[in-house]
Amino acid sequence: MSLQGNILLIYGILVVLVLAVVVTIARSSVGAPVDYARVQTRAYALRRTWFWFLLGAVILAFVVTIQFLPYGAAEASGEATRYTVIARQYSFGGLPEVIPLGVTVVFEVTATDVNHGFAVYDPKGNLEGQVQAMPGYDNHLELTFDERGLYEVRCLEYCGINHHNMRASFEVR
Amino acid sequence: MAATVDLTEVRTTGPSDVMEGRRVMRLYLATGLTVAVLLMLAGLVMRMAQAGWLGLDPAFFYSLLTLHGSGMITALVLCGMGGVWYLTRRETPMSARLALWSYGLIVAGVALVVLATMLGRFAATWTFLYPLTFVNPTWPNWATGAFLIGMVLITVGWMLWCIQILEAVLRRYGGFRGALGWDLVFHPKAFKESGREPPPPQMLAATVTSFNGLFAASAATLIGVPLVAHWLDPAIVIDALWAKNVTYFFGHQFANLIIYMLVALVYVGLPRYTDRKWKTSTVLVLGWWGTMTFILLNYSHHLYLDFVQPGPVQLLGVMASYLSAIPVAVVTVYGGLMLVWRSGMRWALGSIFMYAGLTGWILGGVGALLDAAIPFNVVFHNTLWVPAHFHGYLLGASFLFALGWVFLMLEERSRSHTSLATRWLVSGTVLGGIALFLMSFYAAGAAGVPRRYAVEPEPGPILAGWGSVGAIVLIVGLLFALGEGVRLWRAGRVTVPVERQPGVAVEGT
Repeated sequence: MSLQGNILLIYGILVVLVLAVVVTIARSSVGAPVDYARVQTRAYALRRTWFWFLLGAVILAFVVTIQFLPYGAAEASGEATRYTVIARQYSFGGLPEVIPLGVTVVFEVTATDVNHGFAVYDPKGNLEGQVQAMPGYDNHLELTFDERGLYEVRCLEYCGINHHNMRASFEVR
Repeated sequence: MAATVDLTEVRTTGPSDVMEGRRVMRLYLATGLTVAVLLMLAGLVMRMAQAGWLGLDPAFFYSLLTLHGSGMITALVLCGMGGVWYLTRRETPMSARLALWSYGLIVAGVALVVLATMLGRFAATWTFLYPLTFVNPTWPNWATGAFLIGMVLITVGWMLWCIQILEAVLRRYGGFRGALGWDLVFHPKAFKESGREPPPPQMLAATVTSFNGLFAASAATLIGVPLVAHWLDPAIVIDALWAKNVTYFFGHQFANLIIYMLVALVYVGLPRYTDRKWKTSTVLVLGWWGTMTFILLNYSHHLYLDFVQPGPVQLLGVMASYLSAIPVAVVTVYGGLMLVWRSGMRWALGSIFMYAGLTGWILGGVGALLDAAIPFNVVFHNTLWVPAHFHGYLLGASFLFALGWVFLMLEERSRSHTSLATRWLVSGTVLGGIALFLMSFYAAGAAGVPRRYAVEPEPGPILAGWGSVGAIVLIVGLLFALGEGVRLWRAGRVTVPVERQPGVAVEGT
């Protein structure tokens, strides 16, 4: 399953858990009320645990997250093949027709008119990676293609009334 | 601890002020909710066009998208402004005239946005990222001016409201120290012995939203002035990265503050159904301090994919985004669930919407947190995952909070009750419609379908069809809700019990 598919699955599981909790609490509210002071005593104790659990989860997520940052990878890829991509309404200039399989490439992306996006979709339609194309700036995106086929590039930053037609493609072989 | 608010009571002013205060709140809420529902129809039209069920010229689609975004944000802001203004005025005298000025400026701004988008076909979306507004526009120059001036008016109206609310809470509670519960946290013993009361929870919401709102308004001014200058003289050039930072600092906060304003209504409303008090505790104060800080810093997650953005700013965005979940999950939503647990709560439409809104806040927040992780953002940025989560807490929470408040008012003034069957019918269609509508966005986001596309690649169209069905069910549900609301309204006014008559302070609910 793709990364996105796994995240959707995780989200679905979390949704079910949250709904289970809120439905249980809603059901508990039907019937005779319980003294709130008693509820508070227990709930405050549980809240302390909940707080430390969440804080721990946040810190852990942060530590894990920063291991997988996309920044700087392109600069570190000294041997990579580099392509300068210039985005403009409504096309991408500088893209090759063919990219060799398994070779690390760096797209040096900029724009000449407005902000654009540079998103690469694999032959199955999964979004592989993306970066912004901004006038006056170069953003470098490093990717390695391990699958043969036709890759599609789409603009993902709204750039005008023909935005949905701003796309290009290249072949990996 | 916090005095519980009685909806019919004002401590410092007379009955005519009560009516005046309510009229102002109703004006804000009625306008906000009406605009929101009208723009839901616009949203439905766009989803149906993406599904291929009706033909829409892409240029018109993007104009409608611009109107939908800017109008919906403003409509929900209006709901929050009206609610918080009313609750603040219950604590201390405030000028209704000034509130009407804010309202007038914002409505005038919205009118200009409608003019720019529907007549002028302005289509740079509500974030109008520089320099899109000015490069090869397919709309006339006057439409750009009308949109920008419209946004300036909205900002000025918002700023006026922030100043009025902030001045009122600072006056009422003795400056920031009192309004933010400083002594409750750092000198709890002395504070308790002094017999003083901390601000009630809804006033912490008022303080934080008006304070942070001024930062948002300042950023809007900071970007608005150069944009207008560029419109008048194109030789004036703005740095695109700087413009993007300032635009999102404004836009993210402006949108984010909506839910923090509207939760003030839940702080007051939910206790009325549970007969339990929602008190200001040290934890609640700390939670609001956290919120105040984190929503100032987390805007930069919008710029994760601008790799030229300084690294520390990116990491700050990650941490602030993650941390902003804690006050919500540990303090406010947890407090709401605690209030409901084994409470014997009265399940009416008002309480159903408020409770569902708290759930929607968590579910939308989880979607947002996943997107706030940079490695995930690389595959979710500007896909439909983004509208999935922000519709989660704007439609699935903020809108429901406002709707819940309206039903609370209707239920409390009415001689009649909503039947069980009607409650199931209304809540089932409204919440079921929202759920289906949101699911279509999440599924499409995970499939990589881009957001803001008039014509979507596969599997966008089929999922847009699901979303359209969800939106139709939601709108039908809102019609049922309207019918029930009118019935409650017509069912006549309950005689106000003496302890709830204006001018009589009550420690109730």
